[in-house]
Amino acid sequence: MKTVKSVLIKITILILCLIEAYPIFWMLTASFKQQHEWVSKPAYALNSSFHFQNYIDAWTRGHMSTYFFNSLVATLGALFFIVYFSVTVGFVLTKMRWKMRKKVAIFFDMGIMVPIATALIPLFQIYNRANLLNSRVGLILVYIAFGLSLSFFLVSSYMRSLPREILEAAVIDGCDIYRLMWHIVMPLMKNAVMTILVLQFFFKWNDLLFSMTFISSSNLKTVQTGLLYFETEFGAKNWGAIFASVSMSVMPLLFIYILLNRRVIEGLTSGAVKG
Amino acid sequence: MDKVLSNKKAIAIFILPPLILYSLLVALPVVWSFYYSFYSGTPGLKWEFVGISNYLKLFIDSNFKAALWVNVRYIAIVMLGQVGLGLALALMFEFWLKRFKSLVRTLVFFPVVLPTVAVGHLFAKIYEIQPNYGLLNSLLSAIGLESWVQPWIGQASTALYCLIAMDIWVAMGFYAIIFYGALLDIPGDIIEAAKIDGCSGRQLFFHILAPLLKPVTLTCLVFSFTGTVKMFESALALTGGGPGNATKSLSMYMYNVAFGYNNMGYGSVIAIFVFVLCFTGARIIRSFDESY
Amino acid sequence: MKRKLLAVILIVCLSLAVFSGCGKDEGNQNSQANGDGGTMNTSDFTGEDPQLEKHIKILSIWAEDNDNGILINNILQRYKDQVNPNFSYEYELVSADDLKTKIATLASSNDLPDFFAYESGTPLKEMVEADKVLNIGAELERVGAMDMMNPSAVSLLKSLAETNELYDLPLGLNVEGFWYNKDLFEQAGVEPPTTWDEFETVLAKLHEAGIQPLSCGAGDKWGATRLVNAYTVRLLGNNAMTAAANGDAKYTDQGYVEGAAKIQEWADKGYFGQGVTTVDMNTAGTMLCTDQAAIFYNGSWFTSNLNDPTYNQTGEDGIGFFNIPVVDPSVSDSNAYSMNCGNILAMDKEKYDDGTAWFLKYFVEEIGNEAMSTQGSVKGYVYTVEEGEMSNYTQLVLDRLKDAESAFAWYEAKMNAEVSTVAQENVQTLINGDMTPMEYMESIQEAYDLSR
Repeated sequence: MKTVKSVLIKITILILCLIEAYPIFWMLTASFKQQHEWVSKPAYALNSSFHFQNYIDAWTRGHMSTYFFNSLVATLGALFFIVYFSVTVGFVLTKMRWKMRKKVAIFFDMGIMVPIATALIPLFQIYNRANLLNSRVGLILVYIAFGLSLSFFLVSSYMRSLPREILEAAVIDGCDIYRLMWHIVMPLMKNAVMTILVLQFFFKWNDLLFSMTFISSSNLKTVQTGLLYFETEFGAKNWGAIFASVSMSVMPLLFIYILLNRRVIEGLTSGAVKG
Repeated sequence: MDKVLSNKKAIAIFILPPLILYSLLVALPVVWSFYYSFYSGTPGLKWEFVGISNYLKLFIDSNFKAALWVNVRYIAIVMLGQVGLGLALALMFEFWLKRFKSLVRTLVFFPVVLPTVAVGHLFAKIYEIQPNYGLLNSLLSAIGLESWVQPWIGQASTALYCLIAMDIWVAMGFYAIIFYGALLDIPGDIIEAAKIDGCSGRQLFFHILAPLLKPVTLTCLVFSFTGTVKMFESALALTGGGPGNATKSLSMYMYNVAFGYNNMGYGSVIAIFVFVLCFTGARIIRSFDESY
Repeated sequence: MKRKLLAVILIVCLSLAVFSGCGKDEGNQNSQANGDGGTMNTSDFTGEDPQLEKHIKILSIWAEDNDNGILINNILQRYKDQVNPNFSYEYELVSADDLKTKIATLASSNDLPDFFAYESGTPLKEMVEADKVLNIGAELERVGAMDMMNPSAVSLLKSLAETNELYDLPLGLNVEGFWYNKDLFEQAGVEPPTTWDEFETVLAKLHEAGIQPLSCGAGDKWGATRLVNAYTVRLLGNNAMTAAANGDAKYTDQGYVEGAAKIQEWADKGYFGQGVTTVDMNTAGTMLCTDQAAIFYNGSWFTSNLNDPTYNQTGEDGIGFFNIPVVDPSVSDSNAYSMNCGNILAMDKEKYDDGTAWFLKYFVEEIGNEAMSTQGSVKGYVYTVEEGEMSNYTQLVLDRLKDAESAFAWYEAKMNAEVSTVAQENVQTLINGDMTPMEYMESIQEAYDLSR
C-alpha cells in the first residue's frame, strides 16, 4: 500500500515538473528550428539542427539588442531609486515619530490597489504636457512611482522586526539619523532589499502597459513592446526568429533567477509576506 | 533615541521626494480620472461636460457588461487556481517531496519570471490549429484523441479558459513558494503532535494548518485579486481580446475607448469603475482578517 | 505639522504649474516660428528650388526598410543630397495600432508632424472638420504639381473623405479581389469564376477534392469583413455602405444581412478550414502560396509578397487573380472593383510654409517614378519611367487597374471608430456561428445609433 502511494506521489511530481518545464523546453528547442520544419513536422518534434541564424536575425533585424538595452536602462534606473526610497521611507514610516505618520503610511498603502489602467489616461495627459512622452526619464519615473507602494509593504514587515536595541545602542554611541540610516539600517535590510530587487526587476522587465502607452519610437522600445510588434515586422512565417527573440527576452530573467533563486525564495518565505 | 527618531528635517528629506513623485504620478491621476469621467471626448478635440450621464451610459453599454463578465470570470477562476494550486503545491512540497526539493521548487517557480508577452506568444503557438497543429493539438492527435483537436483560442467557448490556464500556469509557482515559506514557519512539533494523536490528513489540514495559514492566504488572495483585476497584458499577447470580445477585459475595453475611439472621458469612467472594483474587493478580502 | 502639509501642497501645485507651463511654451514657440512668419509669399514655383532652410518631421507606420518607408526615405534623402542641402528631416515610426492615438494626442496639443501617415475616409474627414490638415489640392495647384496626380486616385480620396478638395496624398492605388492558386484549381478541375453561382460551384468542387477552398485572415478581422463587403456590394451596388452610413439604408436591411450570412455559410461548410479566427493575413497569404489553400482575398499590395520567391513558392506564374464574381450585372458589374489608396499621407496645416511647399512639389514629382522603378508598384501618381520588364504579378495588377471602370470602398470605410470596432470584432463571433447574421448586423446598427 505504501509503495503504491509513494509511486503515485512520484508520478504526480513528475507530471508537475513536466507541465512546468516542458513548454519552456519546447520554446528553447523550437527557437532553433528552420522555417520549413514548422510546416513539415509536427510541433512537438525536436529541432533537427541548431539553426543559430534565428538568434542572429532576432538580435539584428529584430532589433532585440536595442530593446534589451532599453529595458535594462529603464529597469535598473528605476530599481536603484525604488530600493533607496523603500528603505528610507520604510524606516521613516515605521520607526520614526511624527504626527502624520499613520496617514502617510495609509496613503502609500492605497497605491497597491490603484490599477494602472485608472492612472493611465491622466498620466498620458501629464506626460504630454511635460514633454515626457517617448522619453527614458518618463518611463523610469513612472516605474518608480508605481513600484513604491508594494515595496513599502514588503519592507515594513522587515522593519517592524528590527530590534530596537541595535538602534538604541547606535544612538547612544552618537549616531545621528543619517548615520543610523546608512550604516545600521541599510545593512540590516539586506534580505528585504534582495526581495524587492528581484520582484521589482520582474515587474518592470515585464511591464507592457506603460511602455506601450508612453513609448512610440522604435529605438526606445522595451523588450515587451518590441516582442508584441515583432510579428508584424517579421511576418508570422518566421516563428523560428520569434521564438529566438522570446527565448532571448527570457534569458536574463532565468539567469538572475538561477543565480539568486535561493535568496529570492528565502526572502519571500522568511518574512516578506506574512500578512 | 526619541530625539533622533523625531528629527523633522531628516524626515522631510527622506519622505518628500518619493511622496511628491507618488502623489503626482499615482494619487493625482486617480483624482484626475475622476474629474475626467464627467466629460466626454478628448481634451483639445471635442471636449464637453456631460456629468452623470457618462456613468449612466455604463448601464446600457453592452460592451461594458460583456467586458465586466469576462473580467469577473477571469478573476474568480484565476484567483482560485493560482492560490488554490499554490497551496496544494506547497503542501506537496512539505509532505510529499523527499528528494530533489530544490530542483522541483526552482522548476515550479520558473514560469513566474517569464515576460507576459513571451508567454503569450509561446502559448499562442501551443494552442495553434491552422495552418499546422500547435503543440497541444499535435500531442492530442498523436495519442489518438483527434476528436479533441479544436481551435482553442479561436472560439469563444474555450478562449477565455485557455487564457486562464495560461495565467494559472505562470503564477501558481509564486504562491506555492509563499505558502511553502509559511508552512515552514509552523513549528514541526504541532504537526508531529497531531500525527501522534491520530489526526488524519484531512483533519490535519482543516483544523490545524488552515487557521495558521489564514493570514498568508488572505494576503495571497489580495495580491492575486489586484493582479487579476488588471487583466491586460496576457490577454493582449495571447488573443488580442478575441475572438469577438471573448477575452476582452475591462482594462482592454478602457484602452480601446480612451485611445482608440478618442473618448478619454468615457474611458475614465471605466477606469474609475476598475479602481472601485479593486478597492472594494481588496477591502472585502481584508475584512476577513479582522472579523474572523 | 500644518506647515509641512502646506509645503507639500505648495510643491505639488508648483510642479503642476511647471509641467503644464512646459508643454504650452514649447507649443507657442513652434507656431510662432513657422506659422505666420514671413515665409508664405512665394507665388512662383517654376524656377529652381531656393534651398530654404527647413526641418520637417514625418510620422510613418512603415519602417525605413519596408514598403512605403523605403520610397519616402529615398526621396527625403535625395532631396537633401541633390536639391536642398539646407533641408533636414526626422523620420519617426509608430505602429499602425498606435497611429490614431498618437495623432489625436498631437492634434490636441497642436503639435502635428509636417507629414503623417493616416487613414483615408472617416478618420481624415474628422481631421478636416477640425481644421487640422492642409488643403493639399489647393497647394498642389499653387506649386504646379497637380498634374502629377492620378485622377482616379484623387477622385477616390475625395469621395472617401466626402470633400470637394483633396486633403491627402495617396500611397497606393490598389484593386482588391480573389487571388487563386493555379495548380490547386487544375487539380480540382475548376476555372476562375465570373458569376457568383459559378463561384459557389468552384468552392464546392475544391472542397470535395480535399482542398481547403479559402484561406482568410479572420484573425486580423478586416480580412473577413472584406468578404462580407464583397457579397454585400454585389447584391446592393457600389454605394451600399455609404447609404447605410448616411442613414439612407439600415445595416439590418436584407441585402446587408445576406452579406453576413454568406460568410457564415462558408464557415459552416468548412471552406475556411479549422480555427480561421486565429489565422492572420500573413499566414493566410502564405497558405495560398504554399498550396495549402486555393483562394485568398487581398489587395494588389499583395504583389510585393508574390514577387518574393522566399514567400511565394508557386513561382512567377503560380497565382492568378479574378475580380469579385457578379450576382446581378445591372447592380454591380465586373468592371466595378474594390479600390483604395492604402494609408495616406496628410499634412499639418499650421506648420506649412514655403519650405514645405518646395519639398511637397519634389515629393509629388518623384514618387510615381520612384515607386515604379524601385518596387514596380503604382501609388496613385503619374510616372514617366518605362513600365519595362516587370513581373507577371505586377503586370496583372496594372492591367486590372486599367480595366476598372468604377470603384467601391471597403466595409468599414464609412464607419466611425466605434461602429468599425464592433463590425470587426463581431465578425469573428459571426464566423464561429455564435451570432446569427441578423444579430451581427443589429450589433452594427446599434453601435451606429449609439454613436450619433
